[in-house]
Amino acid sequence: MADLAALTAAVEAGNRADAVALTQAAIDDGTEPTEILDAMTTAMTEIGRRFACNDGVYVPEMLISAHAMKAGSELLEPLLVAGGHKPEYTAVIGTVQGDLHDIGKNLVGMMLKGANFAIVDLGTNVSPQAFADATKEHGAAIVGISALLTTTMVGMKDAVAALRAVDPKAKILVGGAPVTDEFAAEIGADGFAKDAATAANVAQELLAAAK
Amino acid sequence: MRHRDRVAMALAREEPDRCPMQISFTPEFADRLRADMVARGLLGTSSGELNVARGGEHNPHGGGNTYELERAIDSDLILTSVGWANNYYAGHGTYTDEWGVTWQEHPYQTRFGTGHYTEMVGFPLAEDSAIDSYVPPDPSRPELYLDSERVIREYGDEYWIVGVTVTTIFETAWALRGYERLLMDLVMNPELADRILEIPFRYHLAAAEKLTSMGVDMIWTGDDIGSQKGMLFAPATWRRFLKPRMAELVRRVKAINPDVKVAYHTDGDVRDVIPELIEIGIDILNPVQPACMDPAELKRNYGDRLLFWGSIDEQKTLPFGTPDDMRAEICRRVATIGAGGGLILGPTHHVQLDTPPENFWAMIDTIRETHYS
Repeated sequence: MADLAALTAAVEAGNRADAVALTQAAIDDGTEPTEILDAMTTAMTEIGRRFACNDGVYVPEMLISAHAMKAGSELLEPLLVAGGHKPEYTAVIGTVQGDLHDIGKNLVGMMLKGANFAIVDLGTNVSPQAFADATKEHGAAIVGISALLTTTMVGMKDAVAALRAVDPKAKILVGGAPVTDEFAAEIGADGFAKDAATAANVAQELLAAAK
Repeated sequence: MRHRDRVAMALAREEPDRCPMQISFTPEFADRLRADMVARGLLGTSSGELNVARGGEHNPHGGGNTYELERAIDSDLILTSVGWANNYYAGHGTYTDEWGVTWQEHPYQTRFGTGHYTEMVGFPLAEDSAIDSYVPPDPSRPELYLDSERVIREYGDEYWIVGVTVTTIFETAWALRGYERLLMDLVMNPELADRILEIPFRYHLAAAEKLTSMGVDMIWTGDDIGSQKGMLFAPATWRRFLKPRMAELVRRVKAINPDVKVAYHTDGDVRDVIPELIEIGIDILNPVQPACMDPAELKRNYGDRLLFWGSIDEQKTLPFGTPDDMRAEICRRVATIGAGGGLILGPTHHVQLDTPPENFWAMIDTIRETHYS
C-alpha cells in the first residue's frame, strides 16, 4: 500500500529523493495518479499556509518543496496524460514589460502548480500583446502579472486592457512589491495577491466565485 | 551649522537645527535634476559631469561622483563606495564586471522619459564546481581607494563621509551564484553556501577596514534580507550565515576607530532580527521601508538603542503622491521617528525617474525648512 502521507511529508520537508522514491513506489503499486498528485498538492497547500504565516517556511523552504514536488510530478506526468487527466485550469503568468525580476513570479507559478493549475510561464519583460496572445492560445482562466518596480507596475494597466480585449472572462491577478489592492482595482484587475501563497488562494477564490 | 555637525548631533540623539538628509538618484533622474536646477538658476550652466568616470553618469552609490547635485540640494552626507555594488549602472548594453557577473542594460518608460536599469543575467558560480577555480578581485589594490581619498580630503571638513560597502555578503554572493540557487543552498548545501558567502564578505570587510582607517565617519554595510511580509529566509538561517560575519565586520571596523558608526541596509520587514542587529553593534538601520515597518513603532521600541536612516516612502508618496502628501510625510517622520534626533531622512531607495519634480522639491524643501523647535 502506497504511503501517501509519507509523500506529503517528503514534499513538505523538501526532500526530493524521498518524494521521487515514494512517488515511484505509489505508481508501482497501482495507486491512482490523481491520488498521488493530491498527496503532493496537499503538501504545497500546507507550505503555502506556513509561508503566509512565517511559520518555519520562508523562500528557501518554499523553493525546495516546489522542486521536490516537481521531481515527483515528472514521474506522474506521462501517466496523467495517458489517463486523460489534466488540470482543470490553466494560468498564464509573467513579469510586466520593462521588468526583469522573476523570483516573485516564479514562486507564484510554483504555488499555482502546487494547487494543480497548468502553468504557462511567459518569463519576464512580457508585453501586453504577449499576455493577450498566450491567454487566448491556452484558454487560460487565470492571468498573473507581476511587477517589482513603481516604474514598471504602471504598465500593468496596458496588459489588463490588452487581455480584456481578447478575453473578458479570464481572471487577472496582479502582485509584486509596489502593487496594492487599490492599484489593482484602479487598473481593472480582478484580484491582488500580497504574496505567492496568497496568489494561489486568490486564484482559486476568483474561479470559485465565477462558477 | 556644518553638515557633519548636523549629522553628528542627530546621531548623538540631539536635535540639530533640522533633520539631516541623504538623497541618491538613478542616473536619469540625476540628469533631469541637473537640467531642472540649471534652468532654475540653482546650478551654474558651466557645471561639469556628474561622475569622473562612467561617461559622466551619476553613480547612485557614490563612487566617482562630483557631488555637484548632492551639495546643491543641501545633502549632509557624502557617499564614497568601494565594492561590488559599484557595478550597478556601470555600463550600457551587456557588460561583465570584474567579479565575472554579466549585466544587461534594460530600458523602461516613464512619463518623464526613458530610464534604464542594469540587471544581472550571468552568474559565474552557477555551477557547483566553478568555485574551485574562482579567483575573486583583490580588495587591496591602491587604486580602489583613490577616489575615497579625494572625497575625504575635499569634503571631510564639511560633510559626514560614508564609506559604502553595501551588498556586503548575501547580495554579492547571490550575484555570483544566482538568487534562487543561493537561497536553496542556504538550506540544502550549507557548506557550499558558506564558501560562496565568504568571497564577498572577505572583500567588503577589507574595503570597510581600509575606508575606516582612511577616516570615513560611517560604514554603510548590509544586504537585502527582508521582503515586505518578513524575512526572506528564517531568522535561524540569518543567525547561521550572516549574523556572525556581520558581527565580525562591526568588531573589526570599531577596533580601528571606536567612533565610526556602522549603518546596516536591508529592505523589507526585518523586525525579527532587529534586536540582534543591535546586539552585534549595528548603530543605524537603513532604509526603514515604511510600506512594511512602521517608523514610529521602531522608534518607540528601539529608539534608545538604534538610530535610523531613510523612512521616506518611495512606493507611493514620492512617485504617486502629491506635494502635500510629501510635506505631511516629512513632518510626520520628523515628529515621530525623528523626535529627539536619531534620524537621517532619506528616500528608501535612489530617487527614480518616475518621481515628479514637484514631489522631489517638496521633499527637499520640507526637510530644509522643518526645524526642530
